Amino acid sequence: MNYDVVIGLEIHVALLTDSKFLCGCSTAFGAPPNTQCCPVCLGLPGTLPVVNEKAVEYGVKAGLALNCEVHCFSRFDRKNYFYPDLPKAYQITQDTYPLCTNGFLEYYIDDELCKTAITRLHLEEEAGKLIHSSGSIVDSEYSLVDYNRAGIPLIEIVTAPDITSPRQARLFLEQLRLLMRCIGVSDTKMEEGSLRCDANISLKPEGSMVLGTKVEIKNLNSFRALERALEYEVSRQGMVLDRGGKIKQESRTWDERSGKTMPMRSKGDAPDYRYFPDPDLPPLRLDPAWVAQIKDTLPELPLERLHRLERDFGLSRYEATFLVNYPDFGQLFLELAAAGEDNTALVNLLMGDYARLAREHGHLAPQRIAELLTILQEGLITQNRSKAVLEELFRSPLSPREIVREKGWEVLRDSSQLGAVVQEVLAANGDLVARYRAGEEKLWGFFVGQVMRAAEGKADPKLVNELLREVLGKAD
Amino acid sequence: MIKREEVIRMAELARLELSEEEIDLYWQDLNSFLVSGRKLQQVDVSGIEGTSHAMAVSSPLRSDRVGESLPQDAVLAAGPEVMDGYFKVPRIVEEQQ
Amino acid sequence: MRKLAHLLQTGEVSSTELVRRCLEQIKKTQPVINAFITVDEEGALAQAAQSDARRARGEALSPWDGIPLAIKDNISTQGLRTTCASRFLRNYTPLYDATVVERVKQAGLPILGKTNLDEFAMGSSTEYSSFGVTRNPHDVERVAGGSSGGSAAAVAAEQAPWSLGTDTGGSIRQPASFCGVVGLKPTYGRVSRYGVVALAPSLDQVGPMARTVEGAAVLFSLIAGTDSRDATSTGASPFQVPVWDPKVVQGLRVGVPEEFFSTGLQPEVEAAVRRSLQVLEEQGAVLQPISLATNQYAIDTYLTLVTAEASSCLARFDGVRYGERVAAEDSNTMFAKSRGAGFGPEVKRRIMLGTYVLSASHYEAYYEQAQRVRTLIKQDVARAFEEVDVIITPTTPSTAFRIGEKRSPLEMYLSDLYTATANLSGICALSLPCGYDSRGLPVGLQIMGNHFREELIFQVAHVVEESVERGAQREL
Repeated sequence: MNYDVVIGLEIHVALLTDSKFLCGCSTAFGAPPNTQCCPVCLGLPGTLPVVNEKAVEYGVKAGLALNCEVHCFSRFDRKNYFYPDLPKAYQITQDTYPLCTNGFLEYYIDDELCKTAITRLHLEEEAGKLIHSSGSIVDSEYSLVDYNRAGIPLIEIVTAPDITSPRQARLFLEQLRLLMRCIGVSDTKMEEGSLRCDANISLKPEGSMVLGTKVEIKNLNSFRALERALEYEVSRQGMVLDRGGKIKQESRTWDERSGKTMPMRSKGDAPDYRYFPDPDLPPLRLDPAWVAQIKDTLPELPLERLHRLERDFGLSRYEATFLVNYPDFGQLFLELAAAGEDNTALVNLLMGDYARLAREHGHLAPQRIAELLTILQEGLITQNRSKAVLEELFRSPLSPREIVREKGWEVLRDSSQLGAVVQEVLAANGDLVARYRAGEEKLWGFFVGQVMRAAEGKADPKLVNELLREVLGKAD
Repeated sequence: MIKREEVIRMAELARLELSEEEIDLYWQDLNSFLVSGRKLQQVDVSGIEGTSHAMAVSSPLRSDRVGESLPQDAVLAAGPEVMDGYFKVPRIVEEQQ
Repeated sequence: MRKLAHLLQTGEVSSTELVRRCLEQIKKTQPVINAFITVDEEGALAQAAQSDARRARGEALSPWDGIPLAIKDNISTQGLRTTCASRFLRNYTPLYDATVVERVKQAGLPILGKTNLDEFAMGSSTEYSSFGVTRNPHDVERVAGGSSGGSAAAVAAEQAPWSLGTDTGGSIRQPASFCGVVGLKPTYGRVSRYGVVALAPSLDQVGPMARTVEGAAVLFSLIAGTDSRDATSTGASPFQVPVWDPKVVQGLRVGVPEEFFSTGLQPEVEAAVRRSLQVLEEQGAVLQPISLATNQYAIDTYLTLVTAEASSCLARFDGVRYGERVAAEDSNTMFAKSRGAGFGPEVKRRIMLGTYVLSASHYEAYYEQAQRVRTLIKQDVARAFEEVDVIITPTTPSTAFRIGEKRSPLEMYLSDLYTATANLSGICALSLPCGYDSRGLPVGLQIMGNHFREELIFQVAHVVEESVERGAQREL
């Protein structure tokens, strides 16, 4: 049977504040265990939370970037559950009145622009980190707790069940990461846990209006894991349904090694978090003027930029996507294009060898790139030679012109000098000249190559062709 | 009347190990509490918003400045069991939902 | 208290002498009264010596520098064990000072020790302490009231000139009434709760207890004021001890709610309160019968909210970071065993009730309903304060009851019948002695004032105090 796939995502994004959500401890990653803790984030008796303004600002910013309604009244609730990494045995979150609701994110699947609804976005605090004695929770004798992470501000973003394929889920998450990085609220590193994603997935018979039983997938530590785990679930659930079986509503964890999802241990009955308004924190009341001010600080968002690059700079979707996915390249492009560089030459340069070298060594100063493009356009060097100049630019402090001068890489433009080279090459290859004259026209390329080599790559290819034509007669 | 199983479930939710006698005791207390709770349920509160905070203030916001953290030995000083700079807990049977 | 301050200022008495006298009195009476859980003899003497040295240099921190105090043992004191009268925290020493402790230290007050209470402030008799019951200095077969029974008894037994207590539903006023001392529950948010081990954060307040109205006013002036670490502390201006002016009662509208003078009220209590009302009337106050009909719901509303909040606030006592751990094979069992062994019966009872009213299927019927009734109570009180300036009632339906007398929890909860409304509505309320019953037990009179009207209720209390014949009105 064919099934429709229904996927919704719950994403946690750690916010890039300097201090924690509800206390002044540092949020820096990688410190020795339990060194970024204070009475508040340890949940010592009597301590009280105070909300970090920056976390709220970033939450609002993310909400605006996701086209959400930002609510000037929102409230903090306690989510009560016991777990060793949760110092107060409740998490401060926003349940009934979240900061933002009702947004959407647009992104491309191939050439199709699609849109996923964002149900809600709210602020909450992060839990601590557990280290299991055997490396896995399953067979560990004991676990160790580090509360450095406890209390880092998070936003939780919940999508509508709008996503219809594992690949779309990955593309959505990639676009979301791009957006969060673009607005500067998070570094969204999945490997450090600053971007985490849980997925809900269910299948229903093709075209059916009735939703199937959903399964929650956790431990999705990479974009690839998200897509693979969902693909696995599509086939697993499909097989169960094909056999006439029922899907069990449960949480499953993705196991990278086996490439399978496994049911998580639980007592079976749904958890009862006993949410209620946190009496320690009065409601959050935002000044609409402040929200408007935050809106004004939003940079150009990735999709807007993509469309502008296509529309105003005549770039292809492929080129524009590259520049959006690598915002540093995008910035460089826009800067140089604004300075009047040729868009096509520029994007070709940036996406070509430059990209590889820049990733290795870091970016070049824009004016050095501009000069390289200029001397190429002036014909001072050949297209081929430009690659060598580029590599040299990453090693040497000299300007492109200085490099060319020092290396003697200027194009050979003197026709008498080059004419002599042509004569030499033809004289050394008399038999081939004869064969060419007898009609073996494909040898033309060989002559060009030989002249270029003899001129040590400095020859202007146009001039070489002209001179050969003079001597050999018609060709190409 | 609530069921005894429900009392046991509450104790589990609250992570309270209770003896059989305690379960019976709190079963009784819960039931008598429910009687007085019922009195409240008869109050007409239609159209009334609940009060979750004594005063209608809004949450003050703190500027994002890093303050002092405690030294690791102070953090761990009161820990019933610690190891290598961490708090140590026995095996975690149920995974977090 | 001004007298003591004067003696210190003129050098007629030193802080060290004051502290010694208190310590001697504690030594003499503690075995019977049991007002203290921890007496910090060494610390108090050291602080007194520092105080005396400051005075000698002319650098006294405040006029009250050197006057020692006792602090309820649910208020965090750095380096001084803070048990909340619970087995679970019997060896817990805070890493930080509560804001109120910081403030009294900044005023130079030596801390004599930590006073007894019902475990986690859950109770009205200090019988539910795992450190033994506190006895009433007026009759040692009777309770001192609770939960701030130790703080009240210490002041009444002249072990300390003043003390700090906490009040969630009457926990300062009821023991003040039973022990014949003055106690104030401030307006919600006027005193920082930072460092006060929470019972119910939407109701808890720290307040002063002293033998005189002036003593209570002075101590209140030292602790009141906004705290950036407590998000619920309101921006109210700090409190200054007023110049006592008996004229404030002229034309003062005094509300007398009939509901507080109904069945169950001990006749001698009623008589003493009515006598004081008459005195006020004679001095020009206008007595106005009013109705606070919603008071009949106060106890049930209070109980629902207090247990709900407490069940969440006490969840952090899981045996991971501090407190008494009972070893077990797995974390969940460890939590349950540690909590089961660490908490006394009343704490378990309230956690059970609170868990029940917050659980998903009962939240609306119990917790949310109680929140709404709380709104009605607030509205009722607000309405009353449109008509009157203060409301005067008995503090408790009866004078101190015998130890072991109240057997059922509900009977005990009724001790807060007249006091819980002030917590639910956030207003300030004070109890002061206004006479004795036939057994010689003190009767407490409660003066309630609107939000931030502490100065007014202190003024009225001062007038009552001046006019009421009392036995124990010495300062030391």
